[in-house]
Amino acid sequence: MTLAPPEQAARKYDLNFARWVRDNVNGGEKMSMCMQCGMCSGSCPIGTEMDHGPRKLFMMIRAGMKDEVFNSSTIWNCTSCYNCTVRCPRGIPVTYIIQDLAAKSVELGYVKKVQNARFAKAFWWSARTFGRTDERLMTAKYYWSGGLVDFVKRSLGNLTIALSMVRTKRMHIGAPHKIKDVKGLRAILAKAAEIDVRESKGGAS
Amino acid sequence: MANQGPTSQTILVVGGGIAGVTAAVEAAETGYDVILLERGPALGGRVAQLNRYFPKLCHPTCGLEINFQRIRKLKNLRVVTMASVADVKGDKGNYTVSVNVAARYVNANCTACGACAEATDMEVDSAFNYGLSKTKAAYLPHEHAFPMRYVVAPEAIGTPEADKIKAACKYDAVNLDDQGETFDVACGAIVWATGWEPYDPVKLESYNYNLSPDIITNVQMERLANHDGPTEGRIVRPSNGEPVRTVAMIQCAGSRDHNHLPYCSRICCLGSLKHAAYVREQYADVQVDIYYIDLRAHDKLEAFYQRVAADPQVNFIKSKPASVSVDGDGNPVLHGEDTITRELYERPYDLVVLATGMKPAASNGYAPPMSVERDEYGFLVPSLEGDGGIIPAGVAAGPLDVSMSVQSATAAALKAIQAVGQKS
Ligand SMILES: Cc1cc2nc3c(=O)[nH]c(=O)nc-3n(C[C@H](O)[C@H](O)[C@H](O)COP(=O)(O)OP(=O)(O)OC[C@H]3O[C@@H](n4cnc5c(N)ncnc54)[C@H](O)[C@@H]3O)c2cc1C
Ligand code: SF4
Ligand code: SF4
Repeated sequence: MTLAPPEQAARKYDLNFARWVRDNVNGGEKMSMCMQCGMCSGSCPIGTEMDHGPRKLFMMIRAGMKDEVFNSSTIWNCTSCYNCTVRCPRGIPVTYIIQDLAAKSVELGYVKKVQNARFAKAFWWSARTFGRTDERLMTAKYYWSGGLVDFVKRSLGNLTIALSMVRTKRMHIGAPHKIKDVKGLRAILAKAAEIDVRESKGGAS
Repeated sequence: MANQGPTSQTILVVGGGIAGVTAAVEAAETGYDVILLERGPALGGRVAQLNRYFPKLCHPTCGLEINFQRIRKLKNLRVVTMASVADVKGDKGNYTVSVNVAARYVNANCTACGACAEATDMEVDSAFNYGLSKTKAAYLPHEHAFPMRYVVAPEAIGTPEADKIKAACKYDAVNLDDQGETFDVACGAIVWATGWEPYDPVKLESYNYNLSPDIITNVQMERLANHDGPTEGRIVRPSNGEPVRTVAMIQCAGSRDHNHLPYCSRICCLGSLKHAAYVREQYADVQVDIYYIDLRAHDKLEAFYQRVAADPQVNFIKSKPASVSVDGDGNPVLHGEDTITRELYERPYDLVVLATGMKPAASNGYAPPMSVERDEYGFLVPSLEGDGGIIPAGVAAGPLDVSMSVQSATAAALKAIQAVGQKS
């Protein structure tokens, strides 16, 4: 018998993870229907931008690879195009499952490691604060979430792009623009969050 | 209603495919009067369109011919083609069935000399070749047709072509005024053997069937490989007639899919293995890739799978392809995820074959009007509460291969005999 490579030998498996997904993730109860056909991953328009496709992610859930699932780029790069959901021969709401896994990864604190999750956080901060995206502040907040070194490196790295955006009036300097009724928008978002809590299977335990 | 016993011991068989023919012959050979109705112009059903049978790769015409010989010997078996059922009234033992016979425009005088076909240039789509070719507007259903009699396509009627066709016949067999007919049949039991239709490939949107002539279905592959088919049996690219070097088969094209046919048709895996054998027989240097979810060679047919799988030029790729596109050179291209290597692929082929499933013809408005229940997929199940006088057989009762269809037909013949009682 040959030994597993070191990184695999060190891998942690949470054998209750599939059950947890079934009970806690939106659409999770349908996941046992998956026959691993590959239709979803093959149909995903940004499959090449994912570290695993939906099919493989579902297999990893079955295998109990909790940390890998929550740290994967798949749950954050999904564009919610619903191609996979529409084509899945077993009627599995693939997109819902992926979306809720992303939400759960935030609740469970996996987010710091995942770039796209940090980006999503910065995006929503901007949306909630100004009612719109402020390219400059949102980007700054996103870079900052990666730590001081990351912030300096990436800000300098994108300086030329930023300046030409300013020149072509794609990014503005000065006080951030706000929409007229930020409060109204926040009320809408709060209501959406309330519905989400009511309709979903409850938070991460 | 109190059971007054059968008033008719005649057995009616609806559908003249391998199942219906078997049920009719088996019942008639025990001495019962049997009427066999076939909607098309000839007997044989879908198997008459197959090139060879798995697993032995023998010719379907052989088994059909044996059955036709049995029919010729039976004076108590009446075959009516172009016929379908309009209505069924009554109960087990005493049904009255209204039969519609469509116009064929050619009567029993026909000697199959073919002068009518030679007389016209008009062509219509060949349904027998699943649209891969045209046929003359006066045509023989196929070379082993039973009855061996021509048909005039309704499209020709009322055109000058019809007059040319009529004038060419020396035997006065062409009757352009044929209106068809309707008549009633009294019978005691009905065997319902209306078979199947190929699932419509156009519904598989992401496979873009209409985008390229080189994306075909498994039933078309049977015609392509047949010496009597559109290419005289040469498996070539329909777009340009060139030999094929790479062929992909897509299994479960619309099967086991809640958007299409939720069930497994049971024969498509074997069908594609057979098609791989057809292709390999014709080409030494061809590559055949079979894309599958899992291969289902049921019971004894596992040996056939192993035989084909031993061929190093036939590859099995575990993946349900997501889509088929067409590249700049006109080649169909498969896209998907290989679930073993976990790679996303994008591969051009010369020919792509969609292994579509069998949809019960009974789900298409041809169900018997009474006494028979359907399962959730449209196949007929004899109703437990019903009176048991209508008995499904063959693929009308479930997705079966030929040997299973024949078994089910023989069983149906016995049940029909039991339903009408001992021969008086
Ligand atoms: C691509 C492909 C390849 C296959 N290859 C093989 C093989 O190699 N070996 C094998 O064992 N099986 C094979 N099969 C399966 C085989 O075709 C079926 O088992 C067989 O056709 C079943 O016969 P049947 O008589 O039940 O139905 P059918 O062949 O469909 O016959 C039904 C008949 O009923 C007639 N009919 C329909 N409705 C009416 C009506 N209302 N009134 C009167 N008549 C009606 C039809 O015109 C038809 O003639 C293959 C199937 C496919 C799709
Ligand atoms: S398409 Fe559906 S059944 Fe197929 S692998 Fe994806 S989730 Fe599973
Ligand atoms: S919904 Fe998400 S995972 Fe599904 S195909 Fe679209 S991007 Fe890919």
